[in-house]
Amino acid sequence: MRRRVLDLGPRYLIMVPLAAAFAFPFYWMVVISLSTLDKVFIFPPILYPLGHLENFAKVWSVVPWGRYFFNTIFVASATTALVLATSTLAGYAFASMRMAGKSLVFGLVLGIYTVPTEVTLVPNFITLKTLGWIDTYQAQIVPFAASVFGIFLMRQFFLTLPKDLWEAAQLDGCGHLRYLLTVAAPLARPPLITIAVFHFVLSWNAFLWPLVVTTSNSVRPIQVGLTAFQYNESTDPVLLAAGSLVATVPLLIVFLLAQRRLVGGIATTGIRG
Amino acid sequence: MDPSRPLTTTTTTTAVVPRPPLIARRRLVRESLGGYAFTAPALVVLVVFILFPAFWIFWLSLQKWDLIAANPDFIGLANYERLFLRDALFRQAVWQTLYFVGVTVPISIALGLLMAVLLNAKLPGRDLLRSAVFAPYVMPVVATAIIWTFMFHPYAGLLNSVLHVFGLPKLAWLDRPETVLPSIMLFSIWQYSGYNTVIFLAGLANLPPELNEAARVDGANAWQRFWSVTWPLLTPTTYFVLLISTIGSFKVVQPILVFTGGVGGATISGGGPDKAAETIGYYLYTQAFGSFRAGYAGAISVVLFLIVMAVTGLQVGVLRRRVFYQ
Repeated sequence: MRRRVLDLGPRYLIMVPLAAAFAFPFYWMVVISLSTLDKVFIFPPILYPLGHLENFAKVWSVVPWGRYFFNTIFVASATTALVLATSTLAGYAFASMRMAGKSLVFGLVLGIYTVPTEVTLVPNFITLKTLGWIDTYQAQIVPFAASVFGIFLMRQFFLTLPKDLWEAAQLDGCGHLRYLLTVAAPLARPPLITIAVFHFVLSWNAFLWPLVVTTSNSVRPIQVGLTAFQYNESTDPVLLAAGSLVATVPLLIVFLLAQRRLVGGIATTGIRG
Repeated sequence: MDPSRPLTTTTTTTAVVPRPPLIARRRLVRESLGGYAFTAPALVVLVVFILFPAFWIFWLSLQKWDLIAANPDFIGLANYERLFLRDALFRQAVWQTLYFVGVTVPISIALGLLMAVLLNAKLPGRDLLRSAVFAPYVMPVVATAIIWTFMFHPYAGLLNSVLHVFGLPKLAWLDRPETVLPSIMLFSIWQYSGYNTVIFLAGLANLPPELNEAARVDGANAWQRFWSVTWPLLTPTTYFVLLISTIGSFKVVQPILVFTGGVGGATISGGGPDKAAETIGYYLYTQAFGSFRAGYAGAISVVLFLIVMAVTGLQVGVLRRRVFYQ
């Protein structure tokens, strides 16, 4: 018991202040969003929230958050659904189907993982411009509809399924597609959830690409809406903080609910935004 | 017979029975077609939006194009010539990027490792502490950077209030050329240290506990145990973190954009006072979408790509010999 206290005590002594420092900006976001303009930049600062809940009503009337929210949720959900579909199909084929040149194609897919996103920024913009997709939903969805991470994770999972399962299904006259849809994919819930959470967060936070390919509020996601609001010279900082909070809270909820999956996915793949 | 395979498989798999090669071949072709049909949706997206651009960018960098004219002009290596010989801002951006990488990578790795070692115990509240340090990585960069802008406020931002309490002079943070990039570095360290912690925690969880226990029995203190047992065993993880942190930092764009962007985001007026926060990634972005120089931006992309490759190669070469694999 004494050794345990001696061991844990110093850990807390360093770790608790550090964690508090890391979490502080989120607290500060709440404090400012509930403050008033004349109380934000004063000394000494007011370190507790003041309770001006009307800020949220005000920010809602200034900026079309409803539209932004819908756009973000639609784009993030559609992207995630497509990633799940393409990853399941491709992961299954790479794991369980006989294909000529399979290892070559799979190697190519893994190689794609090393291409930095900055390299694709300008070419993809030109491609979308040629397709006439600028300022559309599909411009924010289709380029991200497949994921090397997703394919890899699904393949690894399908490799672990016992072969008897497939053989039994085959005896029942089941083809690959029906076997995948009725037997294999429903078993793959753990990797599917990891991929879904991961890509939902990625899509929710997407900023640079939508900034480039959207020009109107009708398809703009919340992150781009928030920057447009920020760059507006007359923006009240209190409302800006309220807007930031509005854009963060849904993700915070997803994060708290699916933390383990997210942490696991990141620890195994090393994806860095 | 392979004992790991159930006996029943031999009765159901027909591969044991010799069959005419033509039928087998036809079956492989049919199954291959099925396989390619399954992989086609993913492959089309990956090829069109990642693989093809990776090659196209080299061709694009030899052209001059404002993205409006119907066709680009082929100008050979002129973009590179200008980039290397006549573009002072690009040179400045390269140095500033190196400065950014050189400061943020070691600090965020050290901090990430420290927190991982501290959290690597049966600690009540461990998940909560880990979430607190990891959250900055997951939260939207626009929202978090906006809050930091408030904390960096030059008159009565929170950070200046803290400095004042300790009797230190106020800093101008984002408003002065000397402090703008260090301020963004601070933000970046805050953003990524917790991410490094998570990867280090995964690495620590894979270490065999017996070695540490044996060292403890032999009377080694915590410090000695860390340096002679944990640190050498952890080198593959450290190496991995170093690699992805370096690559990620070289490409930094988004925080620069939010902190210094100027009206509209994609304007050439951003980059901080005296362009002191201009990085290669940000320069690439403004050249492409602020000045509409697609070919020139292509050349910058290629250079960024090559720098990242070179640094990766260097790290692989130097560190491979020092990495201790189990």
